[in-house]
Amino acid sequence: MTGPAGLPLSPDSGQEPPAAAGTEPAAAGPVLAAAGPTPAAPPGQQPVPQPGGDDWQRLSPRSLAVRPVTDLIRLLPFLLGVLYLHGRGGHGSYLGLGFAAFAIAASVVRWLTTRYRITAERVYLRRGLLNQKVLSVARDRVRTVDLSAHLLYRMLGLRRVAIGTGRNDRREGESFRLDALTLADAQALRALLLTAVAPPAVTAQPVTAQPVTARPVATQPVAAKQVGAQAVAASAAAASPAPAATTGGGEGAAVQARPLAGIPPVPLLPGQVSSPVAASQAAAMAGEVELARLHLAWIRFAPLTLTGLVILGVLFGFAVQFNDAAHVGASAAGAVHRLSVTVGSRPAGLRIGIGAAAVLVAMVLLSTAGYVALFWGFRLVRQQDGALRTRRGLLSTRETTIDSTRLRGVELSEPLALRCAGGARCIAITTGLRVGRGAEHGGSLLLPPAPRATALAVAADVLGVALQPRLAAALAADPLVPHGRLAMRRRYTRALTAAALVVAALTAGGLDAGWPAWSWLSSLALLPLAALLAADRYRGLGHRLAGGRLVTCTGSLVRRRSVLATEGIIGWRIHQSWFQRRQGLVTLTATTAAGRQRYEVRDIPHALALSVASTATPDLVRPFLRQ
Amino acid sequence: MAGAERLTAAGQVTGRMGDGSADPLLPGLRVPGNRVSRRAIGYWTARAVLNALILVAIESAVIRSAAPAGWWVLVAITALAGALHALIMPRWRFSVHRWEVTSEALYTRSGWFSVHWRIAPVSRIQTIDSHRSLGERIFGLANVTATTASAAGPVRIHGLDRGTADVLLDQLAVVTGQLPGDAT
Repeated sequence: MTGPAGLPLSPDSGQEPPAAAGTEPAAAGPVLAAAGPTPAAPPGQQPVPQPGGDDWQRLSPRSLAVRPVTDLIRLLPFLLGVLYLHGRGGHGSYLGLGFAAFAIAASVVRWLTTRYRITAERVYLRRGLLNQKVLSVARDRVRTVDLSAHLLYRMLGLRRVAIGTGRNDRREGESFRLDALTLADAQALRALLLTAVAPPAVTAQPVTAQPVTARPVATQPVAAKQVGAQAVAASAAAASPAPAATTGGGEGAAVQARPLAGIPPVPLLPGQVSSPVAASQAAAMAGEVELARLHLAWIRFAPLTLTGLVILGVLFGFAVQFNDAAHVGASAAGAVHRLSVTVGSRPAGLRIGIGAAAVLVAMVLLSTAGYVALFWGFRLVRQQDGALRTRRGLLSTRETTIDSTRLRGVELSEPLALRCAGGARCIAITTGLRVGRGAEHGGSLLLPPAPRATALAVAADVLGVALQPRLAAALAADPLVPHGRLAMRRRYTRALTAAALVVAALTAGGLDAGWPAWSWLSSLALLPLAALLAADRYRGLGHRLAGGRLVTCTGSLVRRRSVLATEGIIGWRIHQSWFQRRQGLVTLTATTAAGRQRYEVRDIPHALALSVASTATPDLVRPFLRQ
Repeated sequence: MAGAERLTAAGQVTGRMGDGSADPLLPGLRVPGNRVSRRAIGYWTARAVLNALILVAIESAVIRSAAPAGWWVLVAITALAGALHALIMPRWRFSVHRWEVTSEALYTRSGWFSVHWRIAPVSRIQTIDSHRSLGERIFGLANVTATTASAAGPVRIHGLDRGTADVLLDQLAVVTGQLPGDAT
């Protein structure tokens, strides 16, 4: 709670101007004091937390209408199985009712037992009926705030809020999630958590063309729902004009989130402002810079990632599970049976061909559908305060805000197929969001598969806040320092050895089992493929240290190029296998709290490795170098 | 590294400082100052023997029940490899394992066939704890683990004798407690 951007929150001891529930807070009043913990607070409007007393907040009661449904949907394969089994005895409907009642009861209990509380320093989350658990995190450790909503939540105006804290979200069951708040509350919370303790250095960065203050926001009469956000804006405005626009931006996102797809940023004059909503929208629009938005042509990259395969696998697993649980016996059912008989009667080669073609077609269709569903309306903007915000999703939406102080770099990732088609993805390296697959991990995405030039431009844009634009572009795109002949030899040795082992195993097995000669002879094709892979892997291998950024690049099947700020490096590992020792190579790993947590410079000559490490973090490494 | 300079005594926390001699495994680095306890050789040997025995027992059980007699060669090979491992590994490992703690950083070297060096700034250490398995207790040993905000793996010092581990633990706890910030 330091710095001019700090909100004038009352400390935990709690002295604040009294504010009656449902009335407008004073313009400079504490954010959290809009309404006391009055039980008489009207439904839909939450009593806003009050530093001090018993100010635990509940989730939105509207989420009660949704949770039973989503819980039941999650249990659907199991439920259908049970219903199918017992349906014959005529108990199916009772069981169904029982499950529905249980789901409703569970959500009510969850709603009743889940509370959160925000004080000047910390955010608390309390949950659990029997095993009660209180999670808490210091507000200055909140790195990201992620709003997401599936279709039902969107219809009810609800958002799930995930607070990324870097440490807690790593362990299962310790993630800081509020499921769900009303849209306005969620946005107010986000604005509060991300702006309250942002250091002034960042908010002062002139990242946008026109500086805007959101003062009009505070003075306009507003709907009760927006009290929280307005109060944030108001109090921030009172503290200093710069972050006020920020908060306006955070809230304005709310406004655009509904019509969406981005309205062109028309600068409105204060005189033209007719409603507070429009005012905040204008503030948000003027204050932010769009870095990228989805183009329909990008969908051509969809089949080139593994997403389709993953969806296919999930669907297959789901189908099998459903088939087993419900005893449908799909393999005996008409259409499936006929299909399997028809295909099964063909010769082996044709069968494999048909199977592969079917999987390929399904993959292309699914990955395209997945791309559209995940990335529809994708938009990456930089807010007034320098924070990056992405919004995406067709049915389920997701909005992630990444505080610029938490951003440690960017990563360009190019799976082989995508690279061949001239595409790339861009991912933020940031603390609080881990990189990887799955819903929890997708928040750091800065650009879905898109043309390489766009990905490079986004990377350079994101890096360019703190660096010279030319250097930023060079870090993203330019050739790196290669690791030399020995590293190249190691690539070939490893790839060819692995291929030779496979060929040897297949040949031995084939001769032993009497397979036709072509089956194991064709495996010889692996050797030239391995050589190509090795050559490409060497081409991708490199590093560079410039402008306080460590660039590493490795891989061929998935080539990743990471640009990591050296101030984000919190330790080094040097690994040397026995084979590497004979060649004088090491693998240098920078450990960090952001992104993948470790960034490797693979097979680098050892003298070079030490000079990279000691140049990147001289204070840390120098004492351990030989004098 | 912010805040490290606040410490008045820049230098050793506990143990010796390296004498500045070059690391024969990686010229350019200097050797960390301290070896681990010599009792660790005994502990590692015991552990290797135990693992080899378990492996041999499982293989024997499987072969006796299912496989033809020729497979007993496999058991013989396992036993031989296990014996060699138990003879060579502990001494090799003892010669590699080194550690050093200054007021600014932890510096360790570990491994045997493959060697790892770790450097972690004290200012970024989040938790520091000590763990003693049953085997380590029998040999009077302890290991000290320092975690940082990175999930890329904690820094571990294995095979310390108990007294050293306790002193190290206390002093590191004091040093890390003095540093402000959220260690990311």
